[in-house]
Amino acid sequence: MVWRWIPGLGLCLCLGVASARAATIPDMLGRPVTIPDGSLRLVSLSPSLTEIVYSLGREDWLVGVTDFCDYPPAARAKPRVGGTMTPDLERMLQVRPSLVLATAEGNPRDLVGHLTRVGVPVFAVKPEGYAGILDSIRVLGRALQAQAAAAALVRAMDAQEARIRRAVAGRPRPRVLYLVWSDPWIAAGPASFIHDLLRIAGGENVVQARSVPYPRVSLEEVIARAPEVVLVASHLDTMVRPSTIVRDGLWQGVPAVRSNRVVPVPGDTIHRFGPRVVEGLEHLARAIHPGAFGLAEAVGQAAMR
Amino acid sequence: MKGRSPSFGGHLRRPVALLWMAAALLVGVLLSVMVGSVDIDPREVARALLGIRAVPDDPAVTIVRQIRLPRAILAGMVGACLALAGLGFQAISRNPLADPAVLGVSSGASFGVLIAMLLGLTGPFANPVVVTLFAFAGALLAAVSVYAIAQVDGRLPATTLLLSGVIIGLFFTSCVMLFTTLLASAELQGVVLWLMGSLGPTGGRTLAVLGLVLAIGFGVLSRQAARLNLLALGEEQALQLGVEAERVKRVVFVAASLITGAAISVAGSIGFVGLIVPHAARLLLGPDHRGLVPAAGLLGGAFLILADLVARTVAAPTELPVGVITSFCGAPLFIYLLRSRRGGEAS
Repeated sequence: MVWRWIPGLGLCLCLGVASARAATIPDMLGRPVTIPDGSLRLVSLSPSLTEIVYSLGREDWLVGVTDFCDYPPAARAKPRVGGTMTPDLERMLQVRPSLVLATAEGNPRDLVGHLTRVGVPVFAVKPEGYAGILDSIRVLGRALQAQAAAAALVRAMDAQEARIRRAVAGRPRPRVLYLVWSDPWIAAGPASFIHDLLRIAGGENVVQARSVPYPRVSLEEVIARAPEVVLVASHLDTMVRPSTIVRDGLWQGVPAVRSNRVVPVPGDTIHRFGPRVVEGLEHLARAIHPGAFGLAEAVGQAAMR
Repeated sequence: MKGRSPSFGGHLRRPVALLWMAAALLVGVLLSVMVGSVDIDPREVARALLGIRAVPDDPAVTIVRQIRLPRAILAGMVGACLALAGLGFQAISRNPLADPAVLGVSSGASFGVLIAMLLGLTGPFANPVVVTLFAFAGALLAAVSVYAIAQVDGRLPATTLLLSGVIIGLFFTSCVMLFTTLLASAELQGVVLWLMGSLGPTGGRTLAVLGLVLAIGFGVLSRQAARLNLLALGEEQALQLGVEAERVKRVVFVAASLITGAAISVAGSIGFVGLIVPHAARLLLGPDHRGLVPAAGLLGGAFLILADLVARTVAAPTELPVGVITSFCGAPLFIYLLRSRRGGEAS
């Protein structure tokens, strides 16, 4: 009768071996993702994920990036698989990925289903707030077998954040308006992650609660909220020029314009949910509290204008 | 009489014409399986399709069988749905300018889908039947409104029909815009792409539901084809010949709304297919609906597959919305039909 058990035993052994060769790690959507052991063939579907992969030292595994992955500059040389919202499935499959990295907010929602259907595992991150970025770095560290590198990176970011918090601690919090777009004016609202960064950088977002994270704001509302600092994000190739705001007659009633505190900030570091966000945080803190970082920096900030 | 188009001599014999159309459909499918953003050798495509000597992990096999082929099938079925819906609406309104988009039925269906999205009923693991039903309800609501507004003394004059179609279409488009402004940005971008009309990757379940709905619509229109011929003579004559005009109209109306809804729910709003294709079919086959129903299905499928092929390749690697291509083909034809008196009296 013993031989009857042999096939079952064999199956158990096979399964045991299979599970030893692959780790199952839940991603930030709570889906268990089976990740093969050893080196991976990664496709990154967002510039922030590409930056994280590089900082974890896994750039050799990266076989596909988006058209927008431009940092570090070496990432431009990787094969492209389309835009973040319009990834090209054919080109993605052509590079034979063993794991695709995606974000819950920046990629099409049904992408996970399409890729799972064709047999490519997808690992998704969903950073919420500044702390969520650190979480996503830790989670990716586990998924990419780079836990030590992830821990070191998070420690370094924590240290820089603590330094920024110390610099702005005890200072009055100016009312800040953070503009991401002109015509129409679109600002970072309380539901956005920039709201979180502004708070850490020692500012107070003037935009009131809305259903959308980046609401349109009317000039009427801007004047009523009287921001003392207006931060203008430069991102991609488009940029709202602070000078146009300063010269605009309609903006003259805004305190930030009268005191000449309309400041450009580099959007790429602030808007990407990657390791450089702490640099972005410092840019914000310096723009909001130029006095907190010593004279030399304040002059540098003025020159940027 | 049987099996032939009854009136004009210049038309092709029905079986010959249908065979040609089926061949065009097949060529369309083959072409779109060959061409994509990744270059794959035609012999390798053939091997992947037939499953010969396929390497298990070969990306070419996945690309051909799981991306290109489902997309061609999707385009074919959506095109057939829209063309059949257009044929149905044109027949019951006895107006050659009727079409799901012109009548505002597409906008109604889009609104239905958006409601389903807001209720969280869409997404990768959602049930396609539910979304289709929402689209169907929206399409039916729009179609009923248009016909109720356009009716003058029990008739449907071209001007009031087109105007009420525009009004209802704009109304539902505004409803769509109202709700899209309330959506979060990640969802919104998906909605915008879908609203422009897109034949993205689709799962087997969705294709099965669409196929089932297409089969129902095709069946209903085929059964009513002879009655639609009599209806074309005018309702009074149809009544004298024993056709209950109102009943026929109602049945075709619901079927056309259903297939419009199914097409919109998977592919978004793709204009002019329902307008162009029935006209092309009439040019080739004459006005007999017994031939027009299968012809519209075949031609509609072939047309949208080829339009999608153009949309994918003409500005590569950027993919144009397929609705752009169908509109570029359809708008001139619409203008021609509107200007020509003969076009206004045909059908």
